[in-house]
Amino acid sequence: MCGIAGIARGERRAVDANTLTRMADALRHRGPDGSGIYTGSPVGLAHTRLSIVDVAGGAQPLTNEDGRVIITYNGEVYNHVELRANLEGKGHVFKTRTDTEVLVHAYEQWGEAMLSRLNGQFAFAIYDRRHESLFLARDRFGVRPLYYAERGGDLFFASEMKALFATGEVPAIPDPRSLDELFTFWACRPPRTPFQGILSLEPGCCAVWRGGRLRVSQYYKLQYQDAEMEPDGALDTLDELMRSSVALRMRADVPVGGYLSGGLDSSITSALAAGMSPHDLRTFSVTFADPRFDESEFQQLVARRIGSQHAVQHIGPSDIAEVFPDVIRHSETPLLRTAPAPLFLLSRLTKQNGIKVVLTGEGADELFLGYDVFKETLVRLFCMRQPTSTLRPRLFDRLYPYLATGAKTGDFWRRFFLQAGSPSDPLFSHIPRWLLASRIKDFYSDDMRVALVGADPVAELRQSLPGEFFGWSPVHRAAYLEMTTLLSPYLLSSQGDRMAMAHGVEGRFPYLDHRLFEFAASLPHGTKLSGLKEKAILRRWATSIVPSEVRQRTKQPYRAPDAASFFGANQPEYVREMLDRTTLDRTGFFDSQAVEGLARRCQAGRVAGFAENQALVAILSTQLWYHEFCATPNVAPPTTPQASSVWLREPVELVS
Amino acid sequence: MTAAHVIERTRAYISENFLYMRRDFRLEDTHSLLASGIIDSMGVMEVIAFIESEFGVEIDDEDVTEENLGSIRAISRYVVARSEASTKVA
Repeated sequence: MCGIAGIARGERRAVDANTLTRMADALRHRGPDGSGIYTGSPVGLAHTRLSIVDVAGGAQPLTNEDGRVIITYNGEVYNHVELRANLEGKGHVFKTRTDTEVLVHAYEQWGEAMLSRLNGQFAFAIYDRRHESLFLARDRFGVRPLYYAERGGDLFFASEMKALFATGEVPAIPDPRSLDELFTFWACRPPRTPFQGILSLEPGCCAVWRGGRLRVSQYYKLQYQDAEMEPDGALDTLDELMRSSVALRMRADVPVGGYLSGGLDSSITSALAAGMSPHDLRTFSVTFADPRFDESEFQQLVARRIGSQHAVQHIGPSDIAEVFPDVIRHSETPLLRTAPAPLFLLSRLTKQNGIKVVLTGEGADELFLGYDVFKETLVRLFCMRQPTSTLRPRLFDRLYPYLATGAKTGDFWRRFFLQAGSPSDPLFSHIPRWLLASRIKDFYSDDMRVALVGADPVAELRQSLPGEFFGWSPVHRAAYLEMTTLLSPYLLSSQGDRMAMAHGVEGRFPYLDHRLFEFAASLPHGTKLSGLKEKAILRRWATSIVPSEVRQRTKQPYRAPDAASFFGANQPEYVREMLDRTTLDRTGFFDSQAVEGLARRCQAGRVAGFAENQALVAILSTQLWYHEFCATPNVAPPTTPQASSVWLREPVELVS
Repeated sequence: MTAAHVIERTRAYISENFLYMRRDFRLEDTHSLLASGIIDSMGVMEVIAFIESEFGVEIDDEDVTEENLGSIRAISRYVVARSEASTKVA
């Protein structure tokens, strides 16, 4: 995995090597094994490399035979072996074994239509000197990031926004509307980012820049079917796809490890990987001092069963607060949860153990309906069909046993679910979650409220839904919303790419093979969510793969301690500083008096509910985010371009 | 113990602990604490703890309903009735 960046000038002028080097420097953590730049006119490209395939020969930027097609690429195309054979059959000549070069020749052969042939996770930019055009693309589900900004006729792009700021030409200005969206959905909905004027290329989209104009188009759409019957041989198909997906993701010239959460999904991927790995598989887990979050019993069980060399990152009471500012620096966004922090520490442990590629279980819950929100949707509909029933709402107690605090509160929170939203609302499934998240808005300052007059993120989302959405079942609608509002912008980004790449670790996601997604999306939802049993077909299939104790477990969502992490004896100085009235007033997003009230309750250990926990994490992270990116300019002097391991200059020649 | 006393103490407690971020919110005695988003399920636990310690009334699980605890007025009615009942028993 790597970092990419570049600039295309609207007026035909050269891109400065120092600027490109500053961009590459900002992405050094993503690619500590090497870096390179291409300086030309009107396009310049930068790259930092994490070497995984063809370690010796894969330096970038990389060109075709005549130097007229140049690529900077972050990601993995797993079917590069098959694509290469196809392209060689058409007369293309390769000089490396990399998937990077496969992309260059695929572009020459098929142009933009190449994207439908790729199986992988990628973001790349190809500069075609023949047409002076720049082709940008991002994978189907948004595993790899790609941001861009257009300013004064110039296009700037990069894997992370900090590389855009490093140019000194793209300012970091908070966008109140984006923040309001974030405080509703947990993340900005692509293409929005928390910064004004900076966009994220949406998953499944590509863009072509030519003559100062950028044209964005979608090459992949999420589609669901509501088949009535499970097709014959569904388990065989699932078996074939799962094994193929994992096998493709084991392709690397370095050892591949696995994250093991203790749940079904990563137990499956780790078990399959252990059977295919030429080495003893290395697995890595997070454990918590707080038993409410800890799953170590199941992690150890699976590690023993598959014979992996297992390592554990233990999270104690002060660990989350200690790394939280680093987490924000890497995620580049305010957060509502601290859950990324343990994953930041886990990737550090992984790297320290000499592993730079890991398989994880991300995506299974979206494909096979694992999250509580799917069951919750069915239960709410079930209750609403008999509004007078007092028995039906008791199903909520079965849904959230890990939240139950005794019989005393049951009646109240059952009512909350039943009063949140009407079944006729296309967004019915997610309204309770978004209502809860939106409680953060109670803390807005007067200025923020003024800036947001007329803003309604939920209404905007409702307006943007694709026509086919309305033909899907309520559960498949919920699955689409999970994929588009949470998976890509939060789980794969703030908890995924950013936390892994902070330490130069590449996550690979077998469940996000598009063939597997399309198979899962074609199944009737009852095959996936059977009654209130989530991921039913995955459990049926995994009989011989994972221990029955894990297979029969009810899903436990991955959570980490929130507000309590930041208060107590070892409170870091920055918490007081960021929540100080003067600092809050200067930043201006939140009402400092209200935040004082929240901090007082946190200090007294009285914050237990979702709303206040989320509010504290959101406010603190917004303050850190603002001070990291917006309060001071982010332009550092560059290292010298000569420090790059590759420097290509137009006309393409290697500068020694 | 009068209803007015219970209402006054409960209103002060809820304002300080659940409405500190919504200072413009005018809390009526009949406002539904849950439907108005003033308290969530964890908040219910806090309110129960407050009632038990402030008014010396122990609340059984089956009494935790909107009818008894759903608004300030409901709480005052419940607390006064419970304390009168315990006075009669004594």
